[in-house]
Amino acid sequence: MSQQVWKLVIVGEEILSKKLIKLIKEAGATGYTVTAAGGEGSRNIRSTGEPSVSHTLANVKIEVLTGTRELADKITNEIEAKFYADYSIITYISQVEALRDHKF
Amino acid sequence: MTFISRKSRDPPPPQLLDPQLLLHPQSFCQNNPVPDFLELFIKQLQSPTLGFLLGGIVVAAFGSQLAIPDSIYRFITFFLLLKIGLSGGIAIRNSNFSEILLPALAAVALGIVIVLISRYTLARLPGIKVTDAVATGGLFGAVSGSTLAAVLPQLDSAKIPYEAWTAALYPFMDIPALVTAIVVASVYISKQTDKASEKVEIWPIIKDSLQSSAVTALLLGVALGVATKPEPVYESFFNPLFRGFLSILMIIMGMEAAQRMSELRKVAQWFAIYAFIAPILHGFLAFGLGLVIHKITGFSIGGAVVLAVIAASSSDISGPPTLRAGIPSANPSAYIGASTAIGTPVAIAICIPLFIGIAEMMLGMQ
Repeated sequence: MSQQVWKLVIVGEEILSKKLIKLIKEAGATGYTVTAAGGEGSRNIRSTGEPSVSHTLANVKIEVLTGTRELADKITNEIEAKFYADYSIITYISQVEALRDHKF
Repeated sequence: MTFISRKSRDPPPPQLLDPQLLLHPQSFCQNNPVPDFLELFIKQLQSPTLGFLLGGIVVAAFGSQLAIPDSIYRFITFFLLLKIGLSGGIAIRNSNFSEILLPALAAVALGIVIVLISRYTLARLPGIKVTDAVATGGLFGAVSGSTLAAVLPQLDSAKIPYEAWTAALYPFMDIPALVTAIVVASVYISKQTDKASEKVEIWPIIKDSLQSSAVTALLLGVALGVATKPEPVYESFFNPLFRGFLSILMIIMGMEAAQRMSELRKVAQWFAIYAFIAPILHGFLAFGLGLVIHKITGFSIGGAVVLAVIAASSSDISGPPTLRAGIPSANPSAYIGASTAIGTPVAIAICIPLFIGIAEMMLGMQ
């Protein structure tokens, strides 16, 4: 019933979400989950709570489950090349157990 | 064209001026355009729009817990721009298309020129990154729906006639400004890095602007106003609710301005100075251009005020995400801070009363 998979988490600017999702799908991931996020990092305090008129200061957290470490690394490398220089964005990875039979 | 002359109006409300003027406002103002203008300017400053804006700034500055949900803000801007679009569309239906041509061209030219001004003034100042300056210019060239919504009822209150379709000039200035900013920044970046210039694709920027919530709501309203007969819903629903929603939006804009102030403090103070001067300068440029068109085609002076305020305004909804994507290396704290914390309050609190005051004076002298 369960299997070892990799959970890649991307926390970044909301305005990137469309591009990030496109990148994730093109890399070959079968799915993803997006939630609103807020917090503080090296660039600035970024929050979801305050009225943000332009939405340029909002963040999202995207979680992707991948069957192999290679796929997760491929996604991370592409994000690094495209977005690390100019945007508030961070990625991290962990190994998790998926409690469902599914081809990741 | 019903213009009520100054003399037939109600007596002016009490003003924060020297007591002499309070006691004898009429005698002081007669045949003297400067105090006359001052009186009109001060009267504009007491408008509810401005009061609500200042109220929002004050509560946010005192760290109030008051929060207005984002979805309410979005609905209100949608409602206001739809209403403005509808009245614009109804006006276009009843007007000659050729009248719109010159003001639209002026709007396009202003959008481009405002960005170029920032490239050759703000960007040349010490310690200013060119991309930050151009992005700021782009945002100040682009248009604020809330400022546009604020000027129209104030023109109505002042009984200054204007063509309702002038609101439809919004995208004509907004899109060229954003496109110019992104093109100028990209050309600069490719020159700096000596890389073969990556071609800037203009269509995605235009598409982005047209698909933004503000322009969509406005254009939807214009289309419905032109193609259908929305007068019953317009009169019974959109028009009566407009001022109330506008006043809530002004509180939100005030709170937003106070909150963005902290971000503006992190960037060079030149941005704050630019943000204060630019709206007034852009407004005068546009007002001058509007008066030239007034002489040529009979474009109304009220219309010139709308053009001036559109030019004075700086985008707060649709511009920032487009610029963030188009000029990723520019610091959003610089341009959003400059626009939201200072640009928008200056446009609403100074430029709107200023140009309405000038227009009242000109109409009074005619």
